[in-house]
Amino acid sequence: MISEEYRGAKQWSRDKQAVATVIWISFLAAAVATMLFFAVFDPSDLAHTLDPELEIGRQAGYAIGFFFFWVIAAGCSGVTAWLVRTARKRDAQHR
Amino acid sequence: MAGTPDNTGAQAASMYESAAKIYPREMQGRFANLSKLATVTLLGLFYAVPWLMWDGRQAFLFDLPARKFYLLGLTLWPQDFIYLALLLIIAALSLFFFTALAGRLWCGFACPQTVWTEAFIWMEQLTEGMRSQRMKLDKAPWSWNKLRRKGSKQFLWITFSMWTGFTFVGYFIPIRQLGIDIVALNVAGWTLFWGLFYGFATYGNAGFMREQVCKYMCPYARFQSAMFDNDTLIISYDAKRGEPRGGRKRSVDQAAAGLGDCIDCTLCVQVCPTGIDIRDGLQYDCIACAACIDACDSVMDRMNYSRGLVRYTTEHALHGDATHVLRPRMFVYAALLLVLTTGLITSMVTRTPLILDVMRDRNTLYRELPGDLIENTYTVKVINQSNDQRNFRLSVAGVTGLTLDGVGEEVTVDGGGLLSLPLRARTHRDNAYGIMEITFSATASDDESVSVTEDSRFLGPTP
Repeated sequence: MISEEYRGAKQWSRDKQAVATVIWISFLAAAVATMLFFAVFDPSDLAHTLDPELEIGRQAGYAIGFFFFWVIAAGCSGVTAWLVRTARKRDAQHR
Repeated sequence: MAGTPDNTGAQAASMYESAAKIYPREMQGRFANLSKLATVTLLGLFYAVPWLMWDGRQAFLFDLPARKFYLLGLTLWPQDFIYLALLLIIAALSLFFFTALAGRLWCGFACPQTVWTEAFIWMEQLTEGMRSQRMKLDKAPWSWNKLRRKGSKQFLWITFSMWTGFTFVGYFIPIRQLGIDIVALNVAGWTLFWGLFYGFATYGNAGFMREQVCKYMCPYARFQSAMFDNDTLIISYDAKRGEPRGGRKRSVDQAAAGLGDCIDCTLCVQVCPTGIDIRDGLQYDCIACAACIDACDSVMDRMNYSRGLVRYTTEHALHGDATHVLRPRMFVYAALLLVLTTGLITSMVTRTPLILDVMRDRNTLYRELPGDLIENTYTVKVINQSNDQRNFRLSVAGVTGLTLDGVGEEVTVDGGGLLSLPLRARTHRDNAYGIMEITFSATASDDESVSVTEDSRFLGPTP
């Protein structure tokens, strides 16, 4: 039997796995969404469309867009993960 | 370090003794060298590329604030998004191709997660010593020595992470100016934020999470097996040769003792960064770093057994069948890659550095002018994608007698600039009826081959 001490890495708890996965995958999704979105739309144009008075630099626009997508994606996968993990397990005979 | 299991003899005990000094990346061997080479090359490229210059400006600059990408002599615009999309598709296909051919080469040698982890572990060894020393240090109470070692590790990690963040931002903002701004403590808020963000992500991912990212967070690790077949190179333990495993003295005749080649030293498990036992078969946790191959080869050498008890092989080879490198899926991937890459390069080389954009004024259908003329108005945008100022001739065709008003013989557009012109197109009433297709064109006056057209419509009265 191989003792845990021999192994290079410790195992993560299920909760830690779920949280890390949700954050990481939504981060990747947000990165892709930001790239696609801002390839088409210029953030400074968008700001003017929303409110002609609004002065948002492009850098700030990209950042806001990125975090917006990240929050949306993390919310979506977070709720999904939570629902899947908290669902009552099916009885063995129904498998 | 754990003690020597009871069932092994003196000879094997020395194996365990040397094993005690070994931690994942301390393994010497062919694949460890290959991995070091990959780390140095890839990180070297990452840190050096933003400093390269081309024609007096940064050679590779993704100037997001100005919405322009500079790649050597090429300037790309948001309108060139297709290139980025193509590049991503090519990258994905290459990943499929190499995965089908040689398994998780990407994970073991090229993934940023692996490469940065490698660098961080190297710094850890430099300051805290080898595996056993690190374990002892972690258990020891706080002392000046512990503080010094831990402190210098953190110092190296954090400095390296900050430099990584700085380099990352340097791909988007001219890095030389950024360096000057940092020294002068004059960095824009968002620039600073992204630098720290990327630096912190590097620190967390390579310093602490390491292979946990591969095991729990990486989608590729889970779906890559779908690209495997029986001819894909995998790292595998040769169970037929190794079993039954067991410790023995070097002098023992293994055939007489009824033992296979595996001496059960568990070295392959100890060196594994993801903590799996390769002898249990192919597992998705395996990132194919090949550390276990180096480990096992070193043991086989000492036992005077032949190398390759753990080796790169294929399912077919393990079962004694022939391995086919050239198989249909390889041809399909290769053909697709070839077509896309050729297409990308051709279209980049033959690309016309000029964009013409025509928008008809939607508020009015047409205007009637004195002298029986019909007029439509347009907003015409001329984008000069070359790096030098240029003159362009604008013209329109498609309707008899159609002329452009609001523009002289030529327009001048700065290098990388955009000119927006309100233009009026006119023709005699006799020529204009209903909806007619027209074509605008722009041609560089210094080079006839730099010419583009754009379709639009001309509206006239319906009879």
